[in-house]
Amino acid sequence: MRNTKTLLLEVAFVAAAGLIFALAANALSPRGLRLGRNYFPGGEKLSAAAQPVTNATASPAGAAPGNATAATIQRLQQRGLQVIPHNEVAALFRDPSFQQGLVVFLDARDDDHYQAGHIPGAWQFDHYHPERHFPVVLPACLAAQKIVVYCNGGACEDSEFAAVMLRDAGIRPETLFVYAGGISEWTTNGQPVETGARLSGQLLQLKP
Amino acid sequence: MTTALVRCLLGALFIYMGLNKTLHPVEFLKLVRQYDVLHAPFALNLVASALPWFEVFCGMLLVLGVAVRGTAVMLVAMLVPFTVLVFLRALAIQKTGGLPFCAIKFDCGCGAGEVLICRKLAENILLTAISIGLVFWRKTSLCLRHGLL
Repeated sequence: MRNTKTLLLEVAFVAAAGLIFALAANALSPRGLRLGRNYFPGGEKLSAAAQPVTNATASPAGAAPGNATAATIQRLQQRGLQVIPHNEVAALFRDPSFQQGLVVFLDARDDDHYQAGHIPGAWQFDHYHPERHFPVVLPACLAAQKIVVYCNGGACEDSEFAAVMLRDAGIRPETLFVYAGGISEWTTNGQPVETGARLSGQLLQLKP
Repeated sequence: MTTALVRCLLGALFIYMGLNKTLHPVEFLKLVRQYDVLHAPFALNLVASALPWFEVFCGMLLVLGVAVRGTAVMLVAMLVPFTVLVFLRALAIQKTGGLPFCAIKFDCGCGAGEVLICRKLAENILLTAISIGLVFWRKTSLCLRHGLL
């Protein structure tokens, strides 16, 4: 009996000390999460359409990996977001208004993915670290007539959360569009990507 | 001596798995969300931010040989529900994908990337058995302080 009590006290000590250690380490880590922030605005509860694509839940036969599925489009519409198809994104990319800053592309992925290849001229807006990007992205979005947000495509939801965050920050909803096919649909269709920083000039044509 | 080696290996594994998650907290947060168990942002953030460091802490205690039995109970208390959750998630994926159960491969957020489900379940059962063993073995070799109290 005494032995069990001693063991339970030890468990309680490990639990309490471990929790304090964990919270302190997270607070001190530069990569740490902020406990009070909602990282999934409008998507706290996972929708059926948000299930990840694994090798066990592969896309329907014949579907390109980046193509937006009907479920994804339905989910976007439920969140009050406008969807833009690939052909319109490609047309906007070649439109002179893109060079004039009236069309803005936002890459909602993390640093590694952005550096590895983004739509040429796209700004990075990783909504998990908005403080890093808001100072440059917000003025660009406020001046734009069309904002196209994208991430990897497929089951990736980061573009949606980024768009919701921008909408909540005061960007007019009618200017916001989510390119659900994302970078995978972009490259599958033979479009160029830019590596490194924005306007680095290092263009790549990835083979589909 | 064998007990000390097993204890250190188990501790090192938890440190490795925990650190892998702390390096990519956002990815881990997304994986926790995929289980669709926690919905409140604070609860999600708390689990995703604290759990990896908690595993590192438990791993360090095991490697150092401090509060070994209490830490081992804590590991069992984590491993059992996590294994159940991973199993249920795999069943849900099987339902949508139609693949044989053991062919299912996904990132369970366990710290080692994508894994085959049957291998992961076997691994977790083994780790649970070793942790239970550490509660009862009471070998104190190479321990800084096997029992705290």
